[in-house]
Amino acid sequence: MTSRPVAVRLQGVGRRFGTNPALSGLDLTIRTGERVAVLGASGAGKSTLLALLNGSLQPTEGEVELFGGTTARLRARQRRELQRRVGTISQDLDLIEQVRVLHNVNAGRLGEWGTARSLISLAWPRPDDRACAAVASVGLEWAVHERTERLSGGERQRVAIARLLLQAPELVLADEPVASLDPTRAAEILGLLGAVNPVGTLVVTLHQPLLAREHCTRAIGLRAGRLVFDEPIERLSTEQLDELYARA
Amino acid sequence: MTDVLDVEVDDREQPSPSDRAATRVTGRRVAGRRVVGLLVVVVPVLWSLQRVVPDNGAIVNRGGLPLIGDLLGKALQPRLDAEFLRLVLDAVGTTLAFAALGTAGALVIGVLGGLVLSDVAWSRRPPLPVRLLRLALRGLLVAVRSIHELVWALLLVSVLGLDPLVAVLAIALPFGAQTAQVFGDTFDGLPVGAFRALRDAGTPAVPAVAFALLPAASPLMLSYSFYRFECAVRSTVLLGAVGVGGLGQELVVSLQSRNWDEVWTLIGGVVLLSALVDLWSTRLRGDMAVASCTDWSGGNTVGVRRTHSRWARWSAIAVVPGLLAAWFATGVSLSGLTDERTVRLTGQLVDDMLPPALPRGGWPVVTGAVLDTLAMAVLAMLIAVLITLAVAPCATALRRGSQAPASLPVRAARGTAWALARVVLLVLRSVPPTVWAVIALLALFPGVLPGALALGVYTGGVLGRLVAESWESVNTSPRDALARTGVRGPIATIAAVVPPSTQQLVTYSLYRFEICVRETAVVGIVGAAGLGRLLAENLNFFRFPIVTTLLLASFVVSVGSELVSRRLRRAVRA
Repeated sequence: MTSRPVAVRLQGVGRRFGTNPALSGLDLTIRTGERVAVLGASGAGKSTLLALLNGSLQPTEGEVELFGGTTARLRARQRRELQRRVGTISQDLDLIEQVRVLHNVNAGRLGEWGTARSLISLAWPRPDDRACAAVASVGLEWAVHERTERLSGGERQRVAIARLLLQAPELVLADEPVASLDPTRAAEILGLLGAVNPVGTLVVTLHQPLLAREHCTRAIGLRAGRLVFDEPIERLSTEQLDELYARA
Repeated sequence: MTDVLDVEVDDREQPSPSDRAATRVTGRRVAGRRVVGLLVVVVPVLWSLQRVVPDNGAIVNRGGLPLIGDLLGKALQPRLDAEFLRLVLDAVGTTLAFAALGTAGALVIGVLGGLVLSDVAWSRRPPLPVRLLRLALRGLLVAVRSIHELVWALLLVSVLGLDPLVAVLAIALPFGAQTAQVFGDTFDGLPVGAFRALRDAGTPAVPAVAFALLPAASPLMLSYSFYRFECAVRSTVLLGAVGVGGLGQELVVSLQSRNWDEVWTLIGGVVLLSALVDLWSTRLRGDMAVASCTDWSGGNTVGVRRTHSRWARWSAIAVVPGLLAAWFATGVSLSGLTDERTVRLTGQLVDDMLPPALPRGGWPVVTGAVLDTLAMAVLAMLIAVLITLAVAPCATALRRGSQAPASLPVRAARGTAWALARVVLLVLRSVPPTVWAVIALLALFPGVLPGALALGVYTGGVLGRLVAESWESVNTSPRDALARTGVRGPIATIAAVVPPSTQQLVTYSLYRFEICVRETAVVGIVGAAGLGRLLAENLNFFRFPIVTTLLLASFVVSVGSELVSRRLRRAVRA
């Protein structure tokens, strides 16, 4: 395990909003191939951690490294190349609602396509083999030409996963992807997320430790912006979980 | 009607998965829809263009160009002496008073009519005669709102003479019918449990409505009322063309006597008044948590952010004394409605109007005018959309999301462009289309083209503002999400912001098209072309049977274009 390359390294990372610290003193190393569950009560800093990892937030203290390089002080082009390797599913999915599903799925490739190709695809999207395969693997073959806003919540989540499949990122970040799903659906979605890049890294925030045990290799616990445990999943104890969710 | 808005209930339904397998959307169907969509735009535009070019090719009236030069030459020398400014101020007062009284009247009609139209209020099956009466009232409301306020003013003048009541009623009737439509939809959009519970517990209809429907509907209704007042100010200026007083009348008089320095002062007054009323009403509506015009016209009245504005709230106290002051200052009296002369003239008018007759030249004249009206509306929309595309992007302050803030000079430049674009749109929509038409008729030969130009410029101001405001509310987080996966900024914007923005542009354009068709009457009355011109000519010569025919034709055209536009708007969302 230790021989795998480092995907994420945080050193003394903190993030404040005004005077309010959302995360502080975080040291964390995640290696390629790990499946990390981020556990913690609401407001513990889980979403902030993901935002630091995908570059939508900058840390106020410490340094975030991705794939062995720093994320601070990058040129625009270097930053884009780095960001292409990270795929995120946020809680509100960030889909373009008014367009066909295919358009949303192809959006995963806009980073790799040149300007001309992107523009053509936006004006006249055509389902090629990769797009069809991605849509099929999330079970939405029938919906390729549907308008995204007409789909149900669960189907829209699958569209977002198909978009990730086309982006093929090395690091997948998912913010509470199964928050409102029944256990069967939740397991399906986590399975799909794990399959986005079978040799890549997955960091997922969860509320259900049981699911973490089934789908992840490692669990980290956040409480009030601080790391309270960081264990291989099989060593995660009930006491640790009780402490994590206990009232202050 | 100026800025007639209707709130559509979103009737999108979620089909079950098994339905979907049957009604699957294929790539071919999507492509087909796009081709049809393109044809729906291109064919009418080409048809209209070939219709407006006269056989001899003469469009520009060279004789009129020096007049335009004179007009522009005076732009920096408006007439600002005390005497004239006092006159302008008086005119502003009159305009405000008419608008306020007209809106008040429209609200009375709106609430009563809204209850007639609302399905909730009629949830129990009343006896047949009552149902028939309701049906008749519904039809009456549709007919009343299909006639433009300027045409109403012309008809009312022939009965009441140049009475202030003409201005008030010309606003109150069509606005009232429109308001009834909106209020009816508002009632139907409310949760009905409380009302049903009261009715089931044996409460009579009137107290049940007062206790359960009105309180829940009141923020929306108040918000809409202030929005209507904004529109009423603009319409009152427009009514000046028939001579009922206020800023509009002064403007038309000055234009026709070619006192260009006065024209500029009055245009300044109109723009300023319009801006202040817009600002006040926007603040008040924001304070009531049901915000922009865009929200009203898009039927989007949930989830609007509330912006508190203390001064706006306090100023609302002025509404009642303001209405009283307006009542006494304008000397409006309802006695004019019932006096013996009015009754006699109304009877005579109805007698004169029936039976309808064809104008000289027969059906071809009527159908020609109808086609001219449609061509004018299509071209006006083309111009309005071009103006919107040119100006609205500058007038839109997109939320920057998580993107890095721009540098100070960039922000300053953007802010200046935004303010300038908003002022341009304000001027375009504040100057009434009649004035634009008079100016266009200086430079162009009478016909469809100057009418389309005038209407297009004015509609461009309205549409540009609606579209810019709706663009400001476009969700930019998908764009930020794309940018976070390494997509370059412009591409991310085109992929994630352009589709919803285009959809809004199309929806609002279709919706303004409906209104444009009705408003062709306005530019027709000052001599452009189409049904409006025919109507004005025949009214001038008291050929009332022909007027009836033309009103019926306008009604058919207006209802027809409304149905087509609705159908298309629904298709855009599918």
